Amino acid sequence: MTTTQETRWIGVSAPRREDAPLIRGRGRYIADIEPAGTVHMAILRSPYAHARINGIDTAAAEALDGVYCVLTAADLEGIGDFPTIWRLPGQKESNTPALAPGKARYVGEPVAAVVADSRYMAEDALDLLDVDYEILDHVVDVEAALADGAPVINEDLGDNTIIEYTFPGINALGVAGDIDGAFEEADEIVSGRFKVGRYSGVALETRGLVAEWDDLRQTLTLHSGSQVASLLRTELAAALGIPETSVRILTPNIGGAFGNQWDRYPEDILVSLASMKLGRPVKWIEDRREALQATVHGREQLQEWQLAASSDGTVLGLKGRVLSDQGAHLHSVGIGPAWVTGAAAVNQYKIANYHCDVVGVATNKTPNSTFRGFGGPEAMFGIERMMDKTARRLGIDPAELRRRNMIQADEFPYFSPGGAVYDSGNYPAALAKALEAVEYDKVREEQQSLREQGVYRGIGIASYIHVSGFGPSAILGILDYYTGGYEGSTVKIDPHGRATLYTGMIPMGQGTETTLAQVAADQLEIDIANVRVVWGDTDQTPYTGFGSAGSRSNVAAVAVIKAIEEIKAKAVRIGAGLLEADPDDVAYADGRISVKGAEEMRSLTLADVAQQAYWAHKLPEGEQPTLEATYVYDPANFTTACGTHVAVVDVDIDTGKIDWVKYVVVDDAGTIINPLLVEGQIQGALSNGLGGAMLEEFVYDEETGQLLSSTLMDYLVPSFTDLPDFEIHHLVTPSPHTEGGFKGMGEAGCFPAAPALANAVADALSHLGVEVDQTPVTPSRLWSLIDQAGG
Amino acid sequence: MAETMSVVLNVNGAGRSVSVEPRKTLADAIREDLGLTGTHLGCEHGVCGACTVLMDGEVVRSCLMLAVQAGGAEITTIEGIGAGDDLHPMQRAFSEYHGLQCGFCTPGMILAGIDVVSRNPDPSPQEIREEMGGNICRCTGYQKIVESVQAAAAIMSTEGGSA
Ligand code: FES
Ligand code: FES
Repeated sequence: MTTTQETRWIGVSAPRREDAPLIRGRGRYIADIEPAGTVHMAILRSPYAHARINGIDTAAAEALDGVYCVLTAADLEGIGDFPTIWRLPGQKESNTPALAPGKARYVGEPVAAVVADSRYMAEDALDLLDVDYEILDHVVDVEAALADGAPVINEDLGDNTIIEYTFPGINALGVAGDIDGAFEEADEIVSGRFKVGRYSGVALETRGLVAEWDDLRQTLTLHSGSQVASLLRTELAAALGIPETSVRILTPNIGGAFGNQWDRYPEDILVSLASMKLGRPVKWIEDRREALQATVHGREQLQEWQLAASSDGTVLGLKGRVLSDQGAHLHSVGIGPAWVTGAAAVNQYKIANYHCDVVGVATNKTPNSTFRGFGGPEAMFGIERMMDKTARRLGIDPAELRRRNMIQADEFPYFSPGGAVYDSGNYPAALAKALEAVEYDKVREEQQSLREQGVYRGIGIASYIHVSGFGPSAILGILDYYTGGYEGSTVKIDPHGRATLYTGMIPMGQGTETTLAQVAADQLEIDIANVRVVWGDTDQTPYTGFGSAGSRSNVAAVAVIKAIEEIKAKAVRIGAGLLEADPDDVAYADGRISVKGAEEMRSLTLADVAQQAYWAHKLPEGEQPTLEATYVYDPANFTTACGTHVAVVDVDIDTGKIDWVKYVVVDDAGTIINPLLVEGQIQGALSNGLGGAMLEEFVYDEETGQLLSSTLMDYLVPSFTDLPDFEIHHLVTPSPHTEGGFKGMGEAGCFPAAPALANAVADALSHLGVEVDQTPVTPSRLWSLIDQAGG
Repeated sequence: MAETMSVVLNVNGAGRSVSVEPRKTLADAIREDLGLTGTHLGCEHGVCGACTVLMDGEVVRSCLMLAVQAGGAEITTIEGIGAGDDLHPMQRAFSEYHGLQCGFCTPGMILAGIDVVSRNPDPSPQEIREEMGGNICRCTGYQKIVESVQAAAAIMSTEGGSA
C-alpha cells in the first residue's frame, strides 16, 4: 500500500484522458460504427398495452426492394431469452422475450424486426407489416393490478403478484425486533403514503448495437454499450445456443448509461440472430420514441409507511409496505431495486424494530429495472419524508429529530435491521456540516420574515446512506443474486517499464479510465503518462463479476492495487537476483527496485527489471518470465457512502413554480481519487435525482394504456435553467474494508435529491399543511395541492 | 432505391457534392455521406441540441433540416473547430473545467457555447443558462458546462478565437 506522503495522483484532479477525442467530435459511439456491408434493423413495436397477436403477415414487407429479412416470434424457435439474475425465493419468473410470443404486454414491446439496406428502408418496411391484434383489457396501475378480476399479464403465473417478500427486521443478535410492541409503546404513530414516480436514465445517446457474424470462424462480434459486457457475453451465447468462446463484446464510447445499460435487452438477441442469418453486419440504433418506450424504466413504487415515535422524538419502530410496479416482464434484476428499498429504508437511524413487505406487481408497462441508485433513492424518499412528517407532528426541528436518531460514529460496524452491515461514517458530523454550510439558523429566521412578505421559502433536509461496492460474492449468493461481486484487473509491465492495465470496467462518462490510471500510477510510483488503460473488449479484459456502475470503481481500484502489489513483489524478487542481494533486503520505492539502505548505489529502474523479466536470461529459480499479474478482488464487505443534502427553495403559491435559493451537499464517500470528477458525478447524479423529483415522468393513460411521454417534448428532462448551482462539501471516512479506503460514489447524489426537494416544498407550505407525497412535484401537481389546501 | 438529388454541402470550408434522398436530414448527410460523426443525434425531433451545427454563423439543429435545403450555406461542425492540437478555447475550457462526462452532448454544447460568446463576450452564469437552454446534457447537471463557457469567454476576450 502506498503511504500518504508518496501519493502523487490519488486525491489529485488529474485531467481526463477521455476528453481529447470527445471535445474534437472524434468519440466513437455506437452509431459511428459501420463495418463494410452493414445492413440496418428496425423494430416493430406493439401499439397496444395488451393484445393477443393472432398473426403477422410479412409478405408485403419481404417483397419490398432492399429488405433482407423479417423476424417474428416464429423465427425464434430454439432461441432462448435472458434470465433474471436476481431470483429471490418465491419470485415468479417471467423473463423478457426477444419478440412478443403470441401476446404483447406493453406499448413498445418488440413484435417483429426488419432488416434492410438502410434504416429509412427498414422503417418503410415496418409500415407494410400487417399484424392481427386482438386487443385485451389492460392495467397500468399497481393497485388495480392487484384487485380481483384484474387482467392478468402473465397467465402462466396465475395473477399479477410476482413476489411478496418480507423484511422481518432482524437485529445484530439474529432475532427480529418487536414491531408490535414498538407501536403499542408509541406516543405518536405517523403514517405516510408515497407515490414515487416512474422515470429513468434517458441517456442522451439512445441504445444501439452492431452485430457481426463471421460464418467461417463461427464468431459473433457484438458492439454494444452494455455496462456489463462479460455477463452479456455469457447470457447472449446461452440464448443463441452458441459457445461463449465464439462471442466477443466490444464497447465503444457510451453516451450515458445510468444503470439502464446494465440490463440485457431483446435487441441484443435480435441483431445477433439477424447477422447470423444473413452473414452480414446488422446495425440497430434506437430512436428516441423507442428509447422512452423500450429502454427500462425505473423507480415507480407505491409506499405505505407507519412510524412509531415517543414524544422525545425517538423512533421506536418503522413498518412499511412497498408495491413495486414491475411492468410487464421481469428484466435482468427482477424486483431487485424494490428489495434494496426494503433493505435501505431505515437509513442512518437506529430503528430497533422494523418490518417491511415488498410486493412486486406486474402491469402493462415497460419493465422497471436497473437505474442509477437502484431502489436506494426510493427508500430515501420514504424515510426522509417520514422523518419530516414526524418532526412536524412532534413539534421538533427536523434536523434535531434526525440528530437524535442517528447511528453514532463509534457504533460501526452497524447491523441494520434491513439486513445490511454499515461499515463506517459519521452521520451527525455530515448533518452538522450541511447545516453550517447552509446557515441553517439564519435561513430559518429569514423564513419567518419572508413569509410575512408573502415569500414562501422552505428548507428541506435529507440524509442518506448508499450501500455500494456490491459485495462479497458469498453474500450475493445468500441473496440469490446470480453473479459474483468481484472485479478483476490485469496489469502488464512492458519491457520498457510502462504499464498497461486491463479492466472489465466500462467508462460511461464517469472518468474510469483516468481514475484507474491514477491508482495504477500511484501504486507503481511512475508517471501517469506511462499507464495505459484498456477496456471494452471481452477478448482482452478480465471477466467482471458485477459489471460497471457509477459506484463500482472502488472495487475495480482495489483489484488494480492488488495486481500491482504482485507485480512489485515479483520485480523485487527479480531485482534482488540482479542486484545480488537477498530479496528481504530489497524494496520497491519511487518506481525503482533498490537494496534497502543503499538506494543510491544498488538500484534498478522498473524498466531495467522489466527488460530482464522479458529477456528471462537471469531469472530466479522457478520465476516465470515477463512482468504481469492478474488479481480478481472479491470485496470483503459492502461499503456505505453517506451524507446529508439541504435544499432551500421558494414556492410561488399562485403558479406552483419552485425557485432555487440554495442546494448544499455534504457527502462522505471515503478516500477520493479525483476530486473534480467526484464533483461531476455528484452534480450529475443530482440532476438525475432532481429531474425525477421535479419533471421527469413516464405517464400512462389509464384508459388506453398508452405511454403519453414518448418524446422529449412530453418527457421533460431538466434543462440548464431547471437546476441550481450545487455547493459541495466532503467528509472523508475511509472504508475500513477496502484497500485505499474508497467507497462507491457515482450514484449517491441521486439518493437524497427527491426527499430534500419534497421536504423543502412541504416546509415552504407548512402553513397550508401541504404534504408532498408524490414525485415528480411538477408545477401543475403542486398547484393543485396548494389549491386543495385552500392556498 | 428511392430517387436521389444532388446537393453541394459546404462543410468546414470544403465543398462536397453528395447525392441524397430528398427526405434525408442534414444530420444524416453530415454523418453518413460526409463521414463527420461528431454531429450526434439524441432525439431527432429538435429538443436536445446534440445535432447542433453552425450554419452561416447561426446555431441550427441539423436533425430538423433536410440535406437538400443546406446547399450553398456555410456549415461548421465540431470537426471544424480547433485544428489538431491548436484547440479552440471553448474545447480547452470544457476539458479543464470538466464540462463533459460521456461527451455525447459535447459537440453541440461547444458549438452553442461558441455561439453564445460570439454574441455576448462576457456572459453571466444566468445568461449562459438561459442562452444554452436548448441543449440538453444528462450527465453533468450543467454547472460545470456553465463554468466552462465562462472560462472560455474569459480566454477568448484576451486571446481571441471564434468559430
Ligand atoms: S437530435 Fe437534433 S435536436 Fe436532438
Ligand atoms: S456529457 Fe453526457 S450528455 Fe452531456
